[in-house]
Amino acid sequence: MRNLIAFFKRFRVFLFFAFLQIIALSIYVRYLSFPKSQYLTTASSVTAKVLETENDITKHFNLSKNNLALQKENIRLRKKVKESLYRIERNLLIINDTTFKQQYTYIPATVINSTVTRRNNYFTLDVGWKQGIKRDMGVFSDKGVVGIVHNTSEHYCVVKSVLTKDINIDVMIEPIGLFGLLKWDGKNPRRGSITGISNDLRIKKWSKVVTRGGSGIFPRGLAVGRVESIKAIEGEPLWDVVVKFSENYRSLQHVYVVKNLMIEEQKDLEGQIPLDEQDENQ
Amino acid sequence: MTDLTKNILRFILFACTQALIFNRLEIGFGIHLMVHPLFIMLLPFEIGVFSLMTLAFILGAIIDIFSNTYGLYASSLLMMAFFRPIIFKFFSPREGYDPIKEPSLIDMGGRWFAFVYGYLLLIHHFWYFLIEIFRMDQMLFILQKTIFSFIFSYLLSVLLQVFLMKKSKAK
Repeated sequence: MRNLIAFFKRFRVFLFFAFLQIIALSIYVRYLSFPKSQYLTTASSVTAKVLETENDITKHFNLSKNNLALQKENIRLRKKVKESLYRIERNLLIINDTTFKQQYTYIPATVINSTVTRRNNYFTLDVGWKQGIKRDMGVFSDKGVVGIVHNTSEHYCVVKSVLTKDINIDVMIEPIGLFGLLKWDGKNPRRGSITGISNDLRIKKWSKVVTRGGSGIFPRGLAVGRVESIKAIEGEPLWDVVVKFSENYRSLQHVYVVKNLMIEEQKDLEGQIPLDEQDENQ
Repeated sequence: MTDLTKNILRFILFACTQALIFNRLEIGFGIHLMVHPLFIMLLPFEIGVFSLMTLAFILGAIIDIFSNTYGLYASSLLMMAFFRPIIFKFFSPREGYDPIKEPSLIDMGGRWFAFVYGYLLLIHHFWYFLIEIFRMDQMLFILQKTIFSFIFSYLLSVLLQVFLMKKSKAK
């Protein structure tokens, strides 16, 4: 017993250091993948308030550019309004209620905090579960995909952006329809890569990359970027595809959160696959 | 102004500037400016090692909360706080440290500060980027980030002291 006390006395500085270090690292490792509470992130109310005030000051720096982008989007949408279309087929009657059912709705939001230089970059938005935001909802802007909601509080949420380690959004290359997973290597915030593209088909440079919409997080066909270069991976029948993102994440401000009204139905159905069969497929 | 109020003010100032200003700057080339280690460096000579580490942990945790890094800053700042007494002892002058002075560039002179702060900041930066990236095959990238960030953070810390600090007077 006396030896034990002597040991603790002798190494008390190191033990205290190790204790605190273990706390810090275990929080870091655990929260990176599974956030349990909002208190340690920018989604907590105190920090989000501070960041929102700061955003009130700094948002004007990119104002003219953002206005221009919003204006462009307005024009694009205005073109689709009934008043600006010429009806060719006059006799056809479309009853929207039965032919179309709303699957996706969108919640507008503003980015109040963001980084792009780290290994894992998170964006904080000014909407939370009061506005109906839940974990694993998709986030996109008028130019491209932004990320997936990671953690929410009452009025704020933290988005795991495309610029993180295991983002794995399922994307496809148009027009051939090859699909793979989007990854980011942590170096350049303008470029990502797609894994799992087999090299039996030719891919044209600058062909469009869009979301596949398989997991129900994003609707099909949201822009991601364009294929910048294609290299063969040695020893594997796969292409290493480099994608140039169409969104510049450095100056991102206005985004939309995707709400899939049929996600429960899809998950329910997919959950009915027996577990052992799933393993065999993987 | 007593030592206590001075250090409390510094704590708030360093936490705010790092979380709200320097973490937002993107210079490119993997440079990430960090001045908050200077707070740990400038704490008085006679501070206990336990309070030193606790302070480092709290300051790091506050910056973590503001930048969604979940304990990364706390861990690296703690690393620096652990090595501070060891490196201070190693570079100690023959008659020991004068408790009136501060461990700053202005009080202790360029040579002493250059070595001590250089080693501590290098440990801090290396640990930070090692944990952040955490892949052995990207060791070169870790080293590149460490060295570039180290040079610029160091210069910034020196400039801050030259412009903002006065020599401590004997009481």
